[in-house]
Amino acid sequence: MSKVGRKRARAGYGFISPSLIFYSIFFIFPVVFSLIASFKRWNGLIPLFSAAWVGLENYKWLFGSDLFVSSVINTVVYSVVTVVVGIFISLILAVLINGSKLSGFWRLLFFLPTVTPAVAIGTIWGYLYRANNGLINQILGWFGIKPIRWLTDPKTALLSIMITAIWAGIGMQILIITASLQNIPQDYYDAAKIDGAGSFRIFWSITLPLLRPILLFLTATGMIGAWQVFDLPYIMGTNAPAKSIMTVSWYVYETAFQSLRMGRASAGAFILFCIIFVANILVLRAFKKGGIEGYE
Amino acid sequence: MKRCILTILLVALLVSSMAFAKTKLTFAVHWSDYQVEGIKDKEGNVVTKGLRQYVEEYMASNPDIEIEIQMVPFGEYLTRILVGRLAGAASDIYVLYSLWGVQLVESGVLDKVPKEVATAIKNDFVEAAVGGATINGEIRGIPTEVANYALVYNKKILKAGGYDEPPKTWDELIDMASKLTIKKEDGTVQQYGYVYDTSSNSGTVHPYLARLYSLGGQLFSNDNKKCLLDSKEAIQALDAEIEIFRRGGTDSAATHGDFQNGRAAMVILAPWWESSLKIAFGDQYEETIGVAPIPPMKDPKSVSYTWFVGVDALSKNKKEAWKFLEWFCIEPLPNGATRMGEFLANNIGAIPSRKADLDAFPDKLNDLYTSVYVQELANTVPEPNVAQGEEIKNIIWREIIEARHQRKTPEKALSDAKRQIDEILSEFY
Repeated sequence: MSKVGRKRARAGYGFISPSLIFYSIFFIFPVVFSLIASFKRWNGLIPLFSAAWVGLENYKWLFGSDLFVSSVINTVVYSVVTVVVGIFISLILAVLINGSKLSGFWRLLFFLPTVTPAVAIGTIWGYLYRANNGLINQILGWFGIKPIRWLTDPKTALLSIMITAIWAGIGMQILIITASLQNIPQDYYDAAKIDGAGSFRIFWSITLPLLRPILLFLTATGMIGAWQVFDLPYIMGTNAPAKSIMTVSWYVYETAFQSLRMGRASAGAFILFCIIFVANILVLRAFKKGGIEGYE
Repeated sequence: MKRCILTILLVALLVSSMAFAKTKLTFAVHWSDYQVEGIKDKEGNVVTKGLRQYVEEYMASNPDIEIEIQMVPFGEYLTRILVGRLAGAASDIYVLYSLWGVQLVESGVLDKVPKEVATAIKNDFVEAAVGGATINGEIRGIPTEVANYALVYNKKILKAGGYDEPPKTWDELIDMASKLTIKKEDGTVQQYGYVYDTSSNSGTVHPYLARLYSLGGQLFSNDNKKCLLDSKEAIQALDAEIEIFRRGGTDSAATHGDFQNGRAAMVILAPWWESSLKIAFGDQYEETIGVAPIPPMKDPKSVSYTWFVGVDALSKNKKEAWKFLEWFCIEPLPNGATRMGEFLANNIGAIPSRKADLDAFPDKLNDLYTSVYVQELANTVPEPNVAQGEEIKNIIWREIIEARHQRKTPEKALSDAKRQIDEILSEFY
């Protein structure tokens, strides 16, 4: 390399060094630290280096634990349902809102839950879901439907929380989808109408294909967020049987900070990381097959 | 010459600053704002002393000591200890829940209690509290409050149901609970006969333990090597709880909130609920709320948990920390009580664990609510201190919830709990 080339390379490294240092301190170090912890029997109260090395014991234990396996299943169900159903509802609402005169008002209305703290959402929905005097059961009662123990019946507890999560999350999705809808040139719709295409045909053949990149973005980011869900199940689901409601993040939190089993909790976090990683690879591949590239 | 003078001045400055430097103690507490800052009137004057006023009093008489109060929410307290020690910024003094004790002691977090303090604790504090602060046979902190359980009932609901007295036995409670439950035509419950404290795992596990002890059962073998939840007494104690569900005296949707809203007749609560109930019932409090011992299944028993103050083993100022704690928790005032006792009774509304403190505040501890808890201290068994106590409590809590939802029989739920707990105990004993 020439002298000038070396100088430029040094300058380049100099420019990226702040990001590199930041990334190393706040990402690589904690990840390596918790990876090492996942192979140790460590309670967080003694130095990590003096904790006993247990190899894969923490991982083996987790896969043999009914509660952890249930929490993985609950998290899978929660992620798939909230992301898929949430995006589907958001897409329909965004298309409807996009053509309406009060588009701004509707977007604001749907966006409000997004800026509301999860604790407030969980508490308010907790009141709505109350079995004996909750609003939802009262409304169902008008139609002769018997009261449901939404948050304590193991059959409905996770479903109830997913409904709340979808309600709380669609605002942001609608906002992003409507912004993308406005970027689709009007010419395409005009041409389709001249060719005699109906509303559904226009949606299916023009709107949906042109929204695919943004739908990929929403699916991938939604999945990452949903896999890590902690707040709503923790706030709303403590009185339901844990196996029916607990998520992996909740399990990891409790294992780390209540049971003081940092090693086991780190192993759980790494299993969660692997699941998120594989799930997102699958989503990206599915979209790539559908002709969307650029997110590899 | 100039250099010489400068050096002398620097050394003098260093020596003088060392001579006048204060010893700084950090005191991590889970108490809330008014408990630390004191209860104030509308003009902002302190009407009931908080921790800060006591600390200021100590600092005024010990000008070489500076005490910093660190307020940490209870839910983050254990995390604070962990993170503080990892970061080399551990507090000097902690207020600790007894159930955390074993792990903190075995991990070398807690300093040993000075001999004279340990002797004072043995002599002056109630047995349940001494038991709570004793870990592996050794006292590891000064007990502060002791919280046991009693039956709290709504006198008006009982009266309307034809009962002048609270239940005297657990069978009576089951019977009364089912009779006092009122269901509407649409299937919703208008009034519960009995509800559980659903705010934490303790609200479920502690009343269960009270029934277990009442039947003469134990949670662990004496050497802590075996969990005894497969015993006849353990199964009977849980079956007695599930019987309330079977007989319709409560259901899984019931919460302690129903009691506070006047829609439930009975609940088993700890003493610190008093303030919440006073707020909930307002001027109707005295004519509505009644307190009685937990109706026994056999012998009268309650269960307690304890808080104690301890010093971090890594503290550079252990001697000064213990000196402050002795002043705060052991040294008596002219009325025979300690400052901690005064603080607990007057500000927090908790039951002090020092015997003389219990007699010193009759207006606070002999009222209609707290007096029953104080009397029941004689029948109170402390929650056992074992390794992984919180993890074990969560396991029992979860299995009881499984049984309440009839997803498992009491036998199956307790046998599953025993299997998991035995695995934990085998790691440590």
